[in-house]
Amino acid sequence: METIVELKNISKTYQQGEVEVKAVNDVSLSVNKGDFAVLCGPSGSGKTSILNLIGGLDEPSLGNVWLEGVNLATQTNAQLAEIRKNRIGFVFQAYNLIPVMTAYENAAFVLDLQGIKEKEIHQRVMQTLAEVGLVGLEHRRPDEMSGGQQQRVAIARAIVTRPAIVLADEPTANVDSHTAESLLDLMQKLNQQHGITFLFSTHDQHVIDRAQRIIQVQDGTIASDECRV
Amino acid sequence: MNIISLASRNVYRSGHRSLVTIIAMAFACAMMIVFATLMEGFVAGSERNIVSMNVGDIQIHDLGYRDDPDIYNSIVDSGTLASRIRKIGFTASERQFAFGLLASDQSSAGVLLRGIDLTFEHTVTQIDQHLMSGTWLDLADQHGVVIGKKLARLLDISLGDELIFVGQTADGYMANDAFHVRGILKTVSASIDNAGVYMSSEMLRELIALPEDAHEIVVMRKKRTSPLVIATEQVATLATEQLEVMNWQQLMPVISRFMETAQIQTFIMLLFTYIAVASVVLNAMLMSVFERINEFGIMKAIGVRPWQIVQLIYAETMIHTMLASVIGVVMGGAISWYLQLHGIDMSSIADGISFAGIALDPIWYAQLSTKSLVIPVLFLFAIAAIAVIYPAAKVALIRPLEAIHHR
Repeated sequence: METIVELKNISKTYQQGEVEVKAVNDVSLSVNKGDFAVLCGPSGSGKTSILNLIGGLDEPSLGNVWLEGVNLATQTNAQLAEIRKNRIGFVFQAYNLIPVMTAYENAAFVLDLQGIKEKEIHQRVMQTLAEVGLVGLEHRRPDEMSGGQQQRVAIARAIVTRPAIVLADEPTANVDSHTAESLLDLMQKLNQQHGITFLFSTHDQHVIDRAQRIIQVQDGTIASDECRV
Repeated sequence: MNIISLASRNVYRSGHRSLVTIIAMAFACAMMIVFATLMEGFVAGSERNIVSMNVGDIQIHDLGYRDDPDIYNSIVDSGTLASRIRKIGFTASERQFAFGLLASDQSSAGVLLRGIDLTFEHTVTQIDQHLMSGTWLDLADQHGVVIGKKLARLLDISLGDELIFVGQTADGYMANDAFHVRGILKTVSASIDNAGVYMSSEMLRELIALPEDAHEIVVMRKKRTSPLVIATEQVATLATEQLEVMNWQQLMPVISRFMETAQIQTFIMLLFTYIAVASVVLNAMLMSVFERINEFGIMKAIGVRPWQIVQLIYAETMIHTMLASVIGVVMGGAISWYLQLHGIDMSSIADGISFAGIALDPIWYAQLSTKSLVIPVLFLFAIAAIAVIYPAAKVALIRPLEAIHHR
């Protein structure tokens, strides 16, 4: 099984005033290609911190993170930006779409940053919007769409670049249970049909129930790592 | 990433704040255009009053005349010299002067009679077109004179009134004659306004018994763009050692320096006004940037580089500035155009005020030029670009995670 992400003895300590908070404590973990895995645990357990370290949004205090064999600690900020642009898809809890752009433009944004030609962008974006069920809504701006539709655009933006991994931080936290189920159906379908690797951070039981692999995080450490398949 | 498109949408999205910023910038730009055109108008008006109304480009006097303006310190064979100057491509006219006392029915005043060559004076000055009332001198009316406006007020005389002059002739006798007022001049200079009496050279020569010589030759360049210093040197080559050849900048160094520094004064004023504008731009952009810092964090997270975010913020600022410039140029240009035609009537406060001997025109006209439109706009762009450095750098340097969690 091809390893996409590998964490070796990762620790992350934050300074809150004069108090040091150890958010991640000596975590070692690998995520394989095609995984549909969740980091679950109570609030403050360190799951989002692990996701941020994998995404190159934060630097570990100790240890190393490898993404497709590249040690993120050795990368400059510009190189990390390139890795995030080309190899990682992000889905955030609050959707975080660019408000002045339409659904189409939000999905096309990263492809445009990659310098892909307009014709190919159009083809890939339209195909991706069709996959996430947004045909006919491509010209709507975020404030003209429901929460579920916005999260679908966020998923489209995350997968349209064909990343090595999609990191989804509490993707169902802001939507109702019915919408959450349909979003999970979508992501599961993308995982099964296209082999896209998903790593979630969540405490939503709906997400946990769908996962093939459940990584329980507690007090900054991996309490259990259970594979259901 | 189509930065211009994204930036223009962001400008439109923050409609109210963008509008306030653009209006503030446009107002400052318009005011600076008006200020620049008024300064240019002031300088041009002053130069016109100095050069075109009296002094001319270059003056020739007997070596001692300026220190001791005595009737005897005259330019010998001035007619020949003036004609030689005309032959090398300049215009030139002779003048005679005589001090004396001028009396009306009501009052009397010390005056300087100015005899001018009616054939050539109009080629060196435009004094004949600067009448407040009445008509210019005429050879057919030798006893008709044109006088300064304050002198007319002092003597309490109006057009047609009679004046008696008493002075001295070149041969030592008393000169006296009666004249009548043909015209009254607008503001020219303090000396002309208070004591200037214009008459024909023929009349003055006869009055002071000075049949040939002149006290002053006034020279003008035919091409205004030719260098004054070189023109002065050319004219000086024709003059004898007994004569003094000086251009108006040498004759009036204070005014000359003031005019040279007028542009610097405009720049300083631009700078101070725009520092206030910079604080508006900085405030607006800081608000705009910090309000969207979370959005910039997301952009960085999905792969937008810091430099691209700087470009985006600069593009937004430049859109503000461009719109403000268009409004500012239209507003400022329209006001300046109106002031170029009608001027600002300063007569209640500035009538009679002079600077270094040059009377200020009570109507202050603007002078619209490409320079006075372009410089304030360039300044506005430069100030806006400087003001936005801090917010742009702040966002460029913030870590994506910190920006995403910024509340």
